[in-house]
Amino acid sequence: MSSFPNSRFPYPAGAGPPAGGGGAARSSVRPWGSSGGTSVSSSGKRIQKELLDLNASDCSAGPKGDNLYHWLSTIIGPEGSPYEGGIFFLDIVFPPDYPFKPPMVTFKTRIYHCNVDSTGKVHLDILRDGWSPAFTISKVLLAIKDIISNPDPYAPLVMSIAHQYLTDRAKHDEIAAEWTMRFAR
Amino acid sequence: MASRDAVESPRSAPRRSGAPVVPKDGGAASLLSPRFRSAAELAGWDEESVFAALIVEDTPVRESRRKRRSSTSVGSGGGGGSTGSNTRKRRSRRQAPMIPPVTLSLDDDDKLDTATDVKKDAKGKEDEKPVVVGDKEASGSGEKRDAMGKLPCMDRLREELSCAICLEICFEPSTTPCGHSFCMKCLKHAAAKCGKRCPKCRQLIRSCTVNTVLWNTIQLLFPNEVEARRTSIASCNDDVSQSPSSSSFSQGGMRTRNNRGALITEGRTRSSYRNFVTAGSTTNSSNNGGFIRAHGSTRDSNSRRGFVPASQLITNRSSARSEQSDDAALAYRLQQQEFMNAFQSDETQQRPPSPPRNTVSTARDNLRAMASRAIRLRSRGWPI
Repeated sequence: MSSFPNSRFPYPAGAGPPAGGGGAARSSVRPWGSSGGTSVSSSGKRIQKELLDLNASDCSAGPKGDNLYHWLSTIIGPEGSPYEGGIFFLDIVFPPDYPFKPPMVTFKTRIYHCNVDSTGKVHLDILRDGWSPAFTISKVLLAIKDIISNPDPYAPLVMSIAHQYLTDRAKHDEIAAEWTMRFAR
Repeated sequence: MASRDAVESPRSAPRRSGAPVVPKDGGAASLLSPRFRSAAELAGWDEESVFAALIVEDTPVRESRRKRRSSTSVGSGGGGGSTGSNTRKRRSRRQAPMIPPVTLSLDDDDKLDTATDVKKDAKGKEDEKPVVVGDKEASGSGEKRDAMGKLPCMDRLREELSCAICLEICFEPSTTPCGHSFCMKCLKHAAAKCGKRCPKCRQLIRSCTVNTVLWNTIQLLFPNEVEARRTSIASCNDDVSQSPSSSSFSQGGMRTRNNRGALITEGRTRSSYRNFVTAGSTTNSSNNGGFIRAHGSTRDSNSRRGFVPASQLITNRSSARSEQSDDAALAYRLQQQEFMNAFQSDETQQRPPSPPRNTVSTARDNLRAMASRAIRLRSRGWPI
């Protein structure tokens, strides 16, 4: 998992814009089992369980390296959408009190989408206030897949794309497909 | 009656093992689907006992199936179209050998359900009366109990009975008003950190208490997992509580699980009696008293005379709370009530927390102490 070719990422390692919030949080995340707080080990247990139970069809996820709290995931562009054929990489960072706080998910692959901004931040309700500890990472990925194929232009992160989606759908799809070809292949 | 009918019929009729769709002329072999049959063979069940088990148990699950059957039977059975939803009527009909369509309509259903049949039956039964389960299985179908560990549906059961928050088998499950069950600990954490809403459907949660029936069921079905969880929690507590005083307490907590009844009765006397016990005089009183106080209000530790160090109180509380079992939950509630009562009266008379007390209150305390001591002595069987 950690040996993905770097060229795949639109952002050069370290220098790129990826998620200021995510980057800050990453440094604060304690590696699994580093110190014996019960909450940390229970979140680690749960993450391990999720890793074992993960069986989503066209997306995959797993820890980036040794750190169980930092995952890399791939989502294959849904068929019938302008993103078809693309492989999108996502960064998932679990907070130490994980099931009770949502994971931070950011796109590492650029995508022309009104709910994903240029830094890769995803606007998804269940990753903020709508989070529930009963969600699992596979459900989150499912929700992200759903929002990829059905953008929500009424809760946009990129206004211009949302506007274009509403007014000139054909043009939007064209650009999205072009971006997919350029960045996600 | 009905059971004998059903048991014998599959033998007399020719078996049609492979046929996916069963015609309506009453192939009794199809009472059980081939899949179920093979599963039962794998598990080493006697066919007869399976039938007996299926028919003897009248659970709500079967009730619902019956309802569905009535709807399907209208379509499938030509003559059976008039079957009502009345259970009694239906049963009498099944007894009568004259009317084949009824068994037929059963087939259609069973084919759909037999895959999960055992699971439903086992679950439904235990949900209804968890205490009876042991006897019933021991007496009724011994094989069933032996096969419990290797039920084909164990994985699904495990899925059903696991907590959505920690993804493990529910430990001390608590059921929300909306009907979802989680570990009580997980639910409490979720309520504290994510708001008092059900993690599954976001309905408001008012209280969380252990669902005893479900907990007993889980303990019966997954004894190993529960035991593992329990030991891990115990080890966690040992790690957390480093001080010798609290470790001695945690042992006490284990022990008191048996004689908690005695503790409850002592709760009231303890709290007032406490005034006269000096700091390190009795070890057992610090055990019990500490335990009760740990469950009591937090106000208590502030206004207390300070016989028990605050740190001990805190560790006691954490370690004690984590090992409440289902009956302990009840005991805990009782204790709390008891203690609150005792303490309220205690507090009113000790409004001025400063050492110099007026004579009336000291006298009252003396009387209380004497009375409680007398009660204690009598309960020990000493002559007064």
